[in-house]
Amino acid sequence: MSSLELRGLGARYGRKTALHGLDAEIADGEFFVVLGPSGAGKTTTLKCVAGLVEGATGAVLIGGRDMTGVEPYERNVAMAFESYALYPQKTVAENLASPLRSGRLGTWTPEQRGARIGEVTRTLGIDHLLGRYPRELSNGQRQRTALGRVLVRPADVYLLDEPLSHLDAKLRAAMRAELKQLSGMARTTTVYVTHDYQEALALGDRIGVLREGRLVQVGTPAQVWETPADAFVARSLGQPETNLLEARVHRGLATTHGGGATVALPEEAHGADGVLLGLRPRDLRIAGPSAPPDGAGRELTMRGRVVLVERLGRSRELSVDVAGRTVITVTDDPRVREGDDVTLAVAWGRVHVFAGPAGDGSPHPPRVGSALPVGGTR
Amino acid sequence: MTATRRPGRRRFSPASAGADLLLVLWFAFSLFPILWMVLLSLKSRADQTSTYFVFTPTPDNFATVLSEEGVRLTGVDFTGALLTSLVTSLGAVLLSLAIGVPAAYAAGRWAYRGSGDIMFTILSFRFAPELMVIVPLFVIYNQLGLFDSDAGTIWVLQLVTLPLIVWILRSYFQDMPEELEQAALLDGYTRTRAFLMVALPLVRPGIAASALLAFVFAWNNYVFPLILTGGQNPTVTVAVTRFLGGGGQAFYNLTAAAALIAALPPLLVALSIQRYLVRGLSFGAVKS
Amino acid sequence: MSTTTAPPEAEGDGPGGGAPVRRVPAWRRGLRPYLLSVPAVLVIAGILYPFALGAYYAFLDYAAVVPEPVFVGLRNITGTLGDPVFWSSVRVTATYALAATAVETVLGVGIALLLFRAGLVGRLLERLLILPLMIAPVIAGVIWGLMFNPQFGVLNHMLGLGSTFDWLSEDRALWSVMLVDVWIFTPFVAVLVLAGLRSLPREPFEASDVDGAGWFYMFRRLMLPMMWPYILVAVIFRFMDSLKVFDHVYVLTAGGPGGATRTLQIGAFQNSITNLNFSLGSTYMLLLWVIVFITARYLVAVLGRAQRRAAGSED
Repeated sequence: MSSLELRGLGARYGRKTALHGLDAEIADGEFFVVLGPSGAGKTTTLKCVAGLVEGATGAVLIGGRDMTGVEPYERNVAMAFESYALYPQKTVAENLASPLRSGRLGTWTPEQRGARIGEVTRTLGIDHLLGRYPRELSNGQRQRTALGRVLVRPADVYLLDEPLSHLDAKLRAAMRAELKQLSGMARTTTVYVTHDYQEALALGDRIGVLREGRLVQVGTPAQVWETPADAFVARSLGQPETNLLEARVHRGLATTHGGGATVALPEEAHGADGVLLGLRPRDLRIAGPSAPPDGAGRELTMRGRVVLVERLGRSRELSVDVAGRTVITVTDDPRVREGDDVTLAVAWGRVHVFAGPAGDGSPHPPRVGSALPVGGTR
Repeated sequence: MTATRRPGRRRFSPASAGADLLLVLWFAFSLFPILWMVLLSLKSRADQTSTYFVFTPTPDNFATVLSEEGVRLTGVDFTGALLTSLVTSLGAVLLSLAIGVPAAYAAGRWAYRGSGDIMFTILSFRFAPELMVIVPLFVIYNQLGLFDSDAGTIWVLQLVTLPLIVWILRSYFQDMPEELEQAALLDGYTRTRAFLMVALPLVRPGIAASALLAFVFAWNNYVFPLILTGGQNPTVTVAVTRFLGGGGQAFYNLTAAAALIAALPPLLVALSIQRYLVRGLSFGAVKS
Repeated sequence: MSTTTAPPEAEGDGPGGGAPVRRVPAWRRGLRPYLLSVPAVLVIAGILYPFALGAYYAFLDYAAVVPEPVFVGLRNITGTLGDPVFWSSVRVTATYALAATAVETVLGVGIALLLFRAGLVGRLLERLLILPLMIAPVIAGVIWGLMFNPQFGVLNHMLGLGSTFDWLSEDRALWSVMLVDVWIFTPFVAVLVLAGLRSLPREPFEASDVDGAGWFYMFRRLMLPMMWPYILVAVIFRFMDSLKVFDHVYVLTAGGPGGATRTLQIGAFQNSITNLNFSLGSTYMLLLWVIVFITARYLVAVLGRAQRRAAGSED
């Protein structure tokens, strides 16, 4: 049980820089999720913490102690590898016993070992597989065994690399709940790597969003969800993805290409040539007779035509053509049909404004704030 | 083997019967000399030059070759040669393993500066003309008293066994996922223990196959012992040729028996490691 | 579900405790592969020393009859290069290496293809394929020597050649020792190519099968390009080994008759060991080594290109 701190953590593979100086402070007992697409450097981050990357720069502090030059086996961290890395010549039980037998985690009698392994494997639902070899397991079972090899042992930090990626959807949901409980009980500092935003939101005390070897944003799930640091973060969370509409800036107003919507910008974005407006599909609602658009200008409204309706179980995903741009929204209303003309409405505060410095063509402009009512600035 | 069709496989047809016939022809050519050696080794002295296929077989030749009588008749101590071959081949393989396993592991696991140079220098031994090294060694061994000694033969056989073992094992270590050892490190095992616990068991087939193949090539080597051994410590390959030249008397049946005995260990080894043979013969270049 | 049992407290001096941690500086980590390679490097040095000494002999006048070795510079090399006996050895070696490799490659690829298509018979025979390869070449030489014998050899008897046909006469000896080489080493090519055939991806062949492509077309346009790397590996091994052939040739003919099978290594053997003229033998070997080195560089470059192309065509 220890805090974990990364100071300017860097890593390179040949000429390619995998990590560009990460800084993060993770509190004792915290469940920290690193979210990012593949190739962002998630696994490398974990391996640097574990001391498995030769030539890593910067520092890793565990429990306040600099781990530079400390061998992996003396760091007292446990890691579940995405490749499972189960010992092929050992059974599930022997795989799980391996850390307890190394002698570095205190002395365990065979009975203590058996009890601990039994406990963990029951939680993971693999207690009937103890005598099997890894090659005789399904990918999901292997993944749970790899997770078990971590959870079975006391450690200062748990490092979990996509530990649920190979489970089917139902089991993943169940395991997600189970994991939260397990880690809560064990109260072990955990760094959890995933590309699945739902896992990140559900599990993380805090989330760090990683892109191309840089931590773009660190914050609680609510912070990351409600005030994404930039367009990349906004798009990383949520399904369907956040709508990003390009807009031209003129005298503090931003008008989307095609003129479908106009918003007033916060002060910080006035200097930009263009901005991106971020609209989460579920923040948009369809204004109809029963829920008319707010006449007082407290909402942004856009008129468009439904071009595609896709069923997602109870709700439907709509592609709406708004002045030549496609805007995605989700509705529970079963009456909406393709070809309908609709009015989309969204609270001003839910319209995220992303703007780079003038002339900066960055594909991931930072968030500068929410849109303001058009009338308010006139 | 599954029944799925492979590229090029055909159902029965005159063409496929012709193909089978061609194969049978090759194998007749390929196996006949071995069969002939077996027949000759079973012939009595009277039969050895006259009858070709019809004779009364006798196992006496093997007993003669391996006994004092063989020494008296031919002047060749074949039992001694067998022992020398066993000692030198085993010794060469063990020495190469002791040297080669760490080097192969280092080269397979880390792309360190200079690893390519070391590996290719070792490989070049395999292709260098042997006499380039033997001639100076002939002079050096005579000065050091290593001429005609087991130690001298073991040393020079490193040219045969070391490249084979290092190159095959490197390809096995390269194939082994690094994360297995990393998992062991995080389980709390030191690098040495992680190597012994995880890496070594996984490459055991490779070690066994390369060691056995290296043994075969050490056993079969001729040019090194021909020049660097004398009357005391010839190996079987040298000893077999001496049956032919013994004082005007021809003992073809004994020669065949000795050749068969000398060929037996490699043949047995070859049949036992057939699965790993291709990878070994190509120094790890072809995996199957 | 109970997950509350606390594990026993760790007693070790983990970093969570107060004990000092052991640090390994980066330079010492970087040293690890070198330390592991030290024994190998020592052996390499122990072998390179006589090798270099052998090269040095080529620049000395050094023989058993010369009391004190004298440095003579390039005289041995120029002398050897002007010696028709040396060039005869070069011709013998080149003929041998080219012809034996060509025949073995064609036969080996053919046998591999036949075994690849073959049914049960082939499956059984395949196990016996490598037997000649595993017998020591010198013993193969002894066996074939017995079979070649004009008076009582089984070949003349079976082929009805009478007792005057001499397999190892001056104009036939080279081809006869090549025959033995083919007998020993064709299986080498065959097993490598067969392994390559079995590792080929199946999809392109099924696709062209559906398209109704003929067997020959499939072989030429699909199989051969993908097989090249395997064939080349076999060719490299065979050609390089043929250049320094010694064992079975020496036991069959000792280089004779009249130098008809005097390959470069046998020539070096005669000079160094039989005549104890170390300098002349070493000069032969130095020149052979240069040939081997240049050939190896060239063939390995060709192999690299073929491997890249095969990888490209598989994608």
